[in-house]
Amino acid sequence: MTLPSAAEAVVQPLEVTRKPWSDLWRAVAGNRKAVAGVLLLLFFLLLAIFPGQIAPYSPTAEEFGRGLPPSSAHWFGTTAYGQDVLSQLIWSTRQSLVIAFAVGGLATAISVLVGVSAAYFGGYTDGILSLITDVILVIPIFPLIIVIAAYERNSGMFTLVIVLGALGWSYGARQLRSQTLSLRHREFLEAARVRGERGIYVIFYEILPTMTSLIVASFLGAALYAVLFAAGLQFIGLGDPNSQSWGTMLYWAENNEALGAGMVYWAIMPGVCVALLGAAFALLNYAFDEISNPALRLRRLEHKGAQELPSPAAPVEVAADPENILQVRGLTVAYASDAGPVVAVDNVDLDLRRGEFLGIVGESGCGKSTLLYAIARLLGAPLAGEITSGQVLFKGRDMVSLTEKQLRHIRWREYSVVMQSAMNALNPVLTVEAQMRDALEAHSNMTKREMRERSKEVLRLVSIDPVHLLSYPHQLSGGMRQRAMIAMALLFTPDLIIMDEPTSALDVVAQRSLMMQIKELQERLGFAAIFVTHDMSLVSHFSDRLLVMYAAQVAEYGKTRQLFDHPLHPYTQGLLEAFPSIRGEKVRLTGIPGQPPDLLRPPTGCRFAARCPHAHERCTAAPPLYEVDGELVRCVLYEHEREAVAAT
Amino acid sequence: MSEPLLRTEGLTRHFKVGKLFSQQVLHAVDDVNFEIGRGEIVALVGESGSGKSTIARLLARVYKPTRGEIYFEGRPVSSLRTRKEKLAYCSDVPMVFQDPYSSINPAYRVSHGIRRALRLHRGELARGRRRQESERVLGEVGLVPAGTMAAKFPHELSGGQRQRVGFAQALAFSPKLIIADEPVSMLDVSIRIGLLNLMSELREREGVSFLYITHDVASARYIADRVLVMYAGHLVEEGPVEDVIQRPKHPYTQLLLSAVPDPRAPLGLSDAADVGEPPKVVNPKEGCRFRPRCPYAIAECGAVTPLLRDIGPRRLVACHVAQADVGEPAA
Repeated sequence: MTLPSAAEAVVQPLEVTRKPWSDLWRAVAGNRKAVAGVLLLLFFLLLAIFPGQIAPYSPTAEEFGRGLPPSSAHWFGTTAYGQDVLSQLIWSTRQSLVIAFAVGGLATAISVLVGVSAAYFGGYTDGILSLITDVILVIPIFPLIIVIAAYERNSGMFTLVIVLGALGWSYGARQLRSQTLSLRHREFLEAARVRGERGIYVIFYEILPTMTSLIVASFLGAALYAVLFAAGLQFIGLGDPNSQSWGTMLYWAENNEALGAGMVYWAIMPGVCVALLGAAFALLNYAFDEISNPALRLRRLEHKGAQELPSPAAPVEVAADPENILQVRGLTVAYASDAGPVVAVDNVDLDLRRGEFLGIVGESGCGKSTLLYAIARLLGAPLAGEITSGQVLFKGRDMVSLTEKQLRHIRWREYSVVMQSAMNALNPVLTVEAQMRDALEAHSNMTKREMRERSKEVLRLVSIDPVHLLSYPHQLSGGMRQRAMIAMALLFTPDLIIMDEPTSALDVVAQRSLMMQIKELQERLGFAAIFVTHDMSLVSHFSDRLLVMYAAQVAEYGKTRQLFDHPLHPYTQGLLEAFPSIRGEKVRLTGIPGQPPDLLRPPTGCRFAARCPHAHERCTAAPPLYEVDGELVRCVLYEHEREAVAAT
Repeated sequence: MSEPLLRTEGLTRHFKVGKLFSQQVLHAVDDVNFEIGRGEIVALVGESGSGKSTIARLLARVYKPTRGEIYFEGRPVSSLRTRKEKLAYCSDVPMVFQDPYSSINPAYRVSHGIRRALRLHRGELARGRRRQESERVLGEVGLVPAGTMAAKFPHELSGGQRQRVGFAQALAFSPKLIIADEPVSMLDVSIRIGLLNLMSELREREGVSFLYITHDVASARYIADRVLVMYAGHLVEEGPVEDVIQRPKHPYTQLLLSAVPDPRAPLGLSDAADVGEPPKVVNPKEGCRFRPRCPYAIAECGAVTPLLRDIGPRRLVACHVAQADVGEPAA
């Protein structure tokens, strides 16, 4: 399984919970579509509840001139029967809303019942219920309703609600079923069963509350459908012609050729009302989707965030050093969030020599993955981080200023990236060979035969039998998938490979064998590597240098051996004391109590002070990096030893 | 010897896999016998796919055993009939799950699972007492102030805190044995130790036994009294944890131990990287399942499935080659 990356930790999906109404309220108030939808719906609700107080006249009174044009007394004129059009419109609102809510409620109830129980019980239940759902889904509803309504002529609203409700649930049921299926393997459901809960409880109290947003969406969708269908049916004369509804108004207007006879508003306004009420439901539906779907929310934030981010500092000119394949200077990366920008990588400097293995260590959320993505220029939607300042010199070129097109020439050929979870990074529907071919085609002009040979070659490099070229990712074990990922990264023998916790999904034996393999390949092929991990012990024997990150900053940076033997920063010391050993005396360990600070509001002083056993009053000022015996360390304990390297 | 808290006899679980006409049987757990004593922490170690999570789910009654029996306080678990009896067992043997990001319902406050547990299993508690009890268990796992923590939603907590909520829920059952299925493997290394310490403290304070399932031998050594090593559905070695780690007898245990990253020890780069994988045991034949990866395999290993045998005080190993007194075979 994967640990959440820094980016995920920052942008928490806003799960629509039964939590704090205030949260929901804030989300609604901040969304223009939601505000418009709510206002429109409120407007119609008022009309529906108090027509007697709002409407100027009785809707049925035929006491005015026939077919009068609009005037101050009759805003929308009168009908061919001498009734006030405005009053009729107002009185008709009630029926449309009642139908909308009743059908919405009925259809949603059925779809919840059918969709959730189909998915939860599975087997035959699922088979039968899904079959019924699909049949209803493909029935052409409008003709069917016309037939039913013609048979049940003049039977009024109740029949209409039942018929529309009974036919309108299938789409929602499909969505709820697939959502429930995806929840079925969530451990909280298993936890509920292990606790001894009954099935009914699990459905109603564990599954349904997590699907609020989908249920609301399905209700709004059904309501919208009901408004439109009911108006359509009444318009073609299949409702009760004496009822007060917009569809019936249209029906009578049509019968009297209102448009031709100059009673324009009689013919148009009911349609406008139907459209407006429909729009209210549609707007709410969109808004709800945006509020509950973090990816959509982000698109908005991205825009907003760009203006709030700290403006980039003047670039520091670095002289390119040919010894170093990579030089990072003052790299700062920020994410946009609801509450303002979050600086996930704060002014990081690092150098990587040719063929060097650099380990980057830190807790989840410390910015180590973000740093990696920034170096590889892979930041972007949906987790939109942005490099706000700094330079990344790769073989002398500043990566930060390269365009996407220029990047294409060097990506994969000169540097490549191995992601945390191969299962997510590999395409599940393509064979290993097809995926390798895609990469080779995109970045070279090899012939088919050459591509095949190269693919076989790299698989052999990572000790996978080339027969697996024809395998799909799911046919490989976890360890093999990760090795296939590394093979793909090696396709062009790049000078730099960037690895984001490639072993975290593996267990110890596979992890060990993969690390050995990486080290061996690195020695043979001579590429430089950056390896990000939260497990310091993992890289102890493999990396040349180690960079310890804490709360977006470099805490300590130096030679791996030296850092393990004489850790300087209290955080590094804590990390080293955090894992038990299989050798030596069994000692009680304490780990590092507490939690890293919230990067939205990082402390002004030392960011580790709150968890540090050596914290004292000097720690309230932000410590710079000190150089001690060739290592860099951000801790005032060393201020007397050496001068600060650079103020930060 | 008195009856242990929990004992399994020939515990076996097979799954049918494959299509209608090519049906195959996956042997997830085969003929496993072990005991867990009162107040004891037993570690079950093995690679993914070795069947350790299946054992957890057999003990938690999520799966029914294909064969064999689990005895809890001497009583066969399959003889539980009424809902009351089953609930009582649930309450004695709760489980803590691996993934802190999916094991708590995101729609409820943190206290939800605890309150449900109290209502289901300790209905005798009055309302006020229930509240007190839920705050007590939260305090017990270090989530303080308990009142504030109880009112939070899961997404407001870190991974480590969520996992503590998992333990608080288990405690609310007033359990006798907590099954912890890789409770720390998804957490950052820096906070794992806190949860391991929590488990030993709970054993001290509440007298709970633990079955600690993990693939990390070092953490097993840190908290467990005894260790069970699983490979491909079989129990291959068992013994007091210190003894097994200092003198591993089964070649698989030796492999597991050599894979533990240890910065304090020099690296033997000469160690041939083992690229083998634990097999999926589908329609198995007789013989040792570790044989294809084993450097010491002999002819007998292909013909006879090795059974667990005594090789010293409280030490059991299932290997034809392992010797009782000689240290490591040919190492």
